[in-house]
Amino acid sequence: MPRAGNRAPLLALLALILVAPLPVRADSAAINTGELTDRVRELLPFLGSPSAPLLPQVVQASAQGGPSVDPSRLDAPERLEIELRSALREPIGETRLTVIDGIARIGHYSLGSAERHRGHVVVLKGDAEVHGQLEGNLVTLDGDIIIHPGARVTGDVLALGGKVRDPAGGITGSRQEIAAFTPVRAPAPWPAVVARRGAGLLGVFLTMLVLGFGMVTFGRPNLEIVSDTVTHSFGRSFLAGVIGQVLVLPTFGMLVVGLFLTVAGALLIPFAVVVYALLAIVAVLGGGLAVAHAMGETITRRRMARGLAVSPNSYRYVLTGLVAIAASWVAWVGFGWVPVAGTIAFLAAALGTWCVATAGFGAALLSRGGIREEFTGRLLPPAMMTDEYLWATPQLGVPAVKRPPKDSA
Amino acid sequence: MRQVGCALGLAALVAAGPLGAQTMRTYGASRPVADAQPPLRTTLEFGAGRVVVRAGADDALYDVGLRYDADRYTPLHRYDPRTGILQLGLKTVGGTGLRVTSRGQLEQVARFAFAPTVPIILQAHLGASEAVLDLGGLTLVELVVRSGVTRGTVDFSSPTRGDCREALFSVGAAELVAMRLANAGCAEVRVEGGVGRAVLDFTGSWRRNTRLTAELSMGTLTLRIPRGTGVRVTADRFLTRFDLDDFARTGNTWSTPDFAGATRTLSVALTTNVAGVEGEWGDRGAVAEGEGRTRKPATRKTAGFVVFRPSPLALRDVAIRSPAASPPPLRRVRRSDRRSR
Repeated sequence: MPRAGNRAPLLALLALILVAPLPVRADSAAINTGELTDRVRELLPFLGSPSAPLLPQVVQASAQGGPSVDPSRLDAPERLEIELRSALREPIGETRLTVIDGIARIGHYSLGSAERHRGHVVVLKGDAEVHGQLEGNLVTLDGDIIIHPGARVTGDVLALGGKVRDPAGGITGSRQEIAAFTPVRAPAPWPAVVARRGAGLLGVFLTMLVLGFGMVTFGRPNLEIVSDTVTHSFGRSFLAGVIGQVLVLPTFGMLVVGLFLTVAGALLIPFAVVVYALLAIVAVLGGGLAVAHAMGETITRRRMARGLAVSPNSYRYVLTGLVAIAASWVAWVGFGWVPVAGTIAFLAAALGTWCVATAGFGAALLSRGGIREEFTGRLLPPAMMTDEYLWATPQLGVPAVKRPPKDSA
Repeated sequence: MRQVGCALGLAALVAAGPLGAQTMRTYGASRPVADAQPPLRTTLEFGAGRVVVRAGADDALYDVGLRYDADRYTPLHRYDPRTGILQLGLKTVGGTGLRVTSRGQLEQVARFAFAPTVPIILQAHLGASEAVLDLGGLTLVELVVRSGVTRGTVDFSSPTRGDCREALFSVGAAELVAMRLANAGCAEVRVEGGVGRAVLDFTGSWRRNTRLTAELSMGTLTLRIPRGTGVRVTADRFLTRFDLDDFARTGNTWSTPDFAGATRTLSVALTTNVAGVEGEWGDRGAVAEGEGRTRKPATRKTAGFVVFRPSPLALRDVAIRSPAASPPPLRRVRRSDRRSR
């Protein structure tokens, strides 16, 4: 039964993860559901085009005390934008808005070349095209303003979430355009970064630990053989691992082509692909766990040699080895947010982990997944490889005493 | 002990967050030049970020482009077509939370351009922004640049139009470099310095005699003056040593020997308190490439002294050869000399 105090770090870690700040837009009033939907469509175009263009329609004036805007002064475009967005309703046809000294429209708005309009114009969710004469200010929300050649706007124009296009210079007043919000994800504070990376490392560690214990439980002989292969033939294992990584894809290609050339084998290609991928993954993961096993065994036996009473078993070996490998990532977890040192720590940890995985992969190849014992360097039958023997006997064997010559007796 | 560690961890977390997400927006504004265009009385407000000011197209009265943090600022754009009063820039909206200054994503940028043909009275309040103002070519009537805590460069890359009455540079704790001031043609240049540093480069095309008034508290002022310019310095100083060996001295006034007959003159009125003033002589129009932003002028420890001497390293193509042809190099005077006088 663990003590309550032992759970405190875990609870703190969970709290850290839960409270870790995710950037949230504070000014949520400025972005409504429709805009978010449009953004999602922009990011994921395969979802389909947005709904059909809004039918141009007149916006009815709001009731007394309802939404009202005054476009005669466009000094505060963001405030006007908030007022307009807050006036929008769903469905859009139910929007009511009073424009002081002007009109409001929904959808595409166009002023014909023979037309003249006096007063301000507010266009919601649509473009405004001017061919004629507009005497007043023009404001669009989520739409562009296009002033065609020959048109004239005697006033100011403002495009909220749109662009102003006036190639012929038909605007006598000022032209303003303000882009839509572009949220920027703020970098997380370093404690949150450390907590997140620490949680990630812990998760990977626990996953590998579960896999390792599973391998010890269900495939211990194979794991030990691969582990011994790494121990006794590390250089060859590493070299084989490098070559194996290089040849993984060509071998896969040859396999597929070979199966394809044989008419019957072509049917097996899907299964071969899956099996090949699984074998590669198992070889890398199992090899890495075997290296962890070998590292843990070495560490454990050194501790035993110093007189520490620890239980030598494969579970401990795997646990100890994984802790040793994870330790190389601790520096990155702690200081990865530091600009240069973090990169160095990451590269060092990644290089070390790659070496471990490569050696394990090579050992798995050399020992055929723990079937061939020849590469383990075992000179004695497995039955004699007791822990007591390995602990008390030098790894390279006991030199025999030279037999005295017979004639001397 | 373990609980203490957990508490510290949570406290660090609370102290570090929560973070608000910055929302960057872009804003643009422009206006054509009117038929009966009054002079432009412009005030630029830009508190943080990078700002560039320059001359624009002839037909655009002003053209503004901003990229700003919408959580903390909002665009400022007010123009009165009758009076020509214009306010541009950003104003704060009282956003709270921890400001994360990631230069790549969150840097505010402003670009202002003004019509060269319209007379302009320009006041730039730069705050903590890093500014580059190239005012060459503008019809500059008056200039006020107030810089807070960062570095700014005011350059007159080409001669301005019209007559400039005054240019005022107010430096708080910032570094302000004014390049080719002669191109501005201002009758008076004023410098108000706090604890910052100001570099005034009077090279360029001289059109009129200039008067410089400098009031320094604890800052440093560096003057770069073309060779052949008549200089007269009037100093009202406190805890500031001022000594010019070969200048003609009359009371608190020092003058170059050729001041009376010089074709161009610079009259300097210094009011200093524990400040440092440096002078550097250079050829007319000689300006170091990339000066102001990337290259730091030769620095000297000048607190408590006024040192007026040539600096061959400060300007490229500067030739200090003959003491007779140019104001002679001056020596730094120690406090012991001051007592002996």
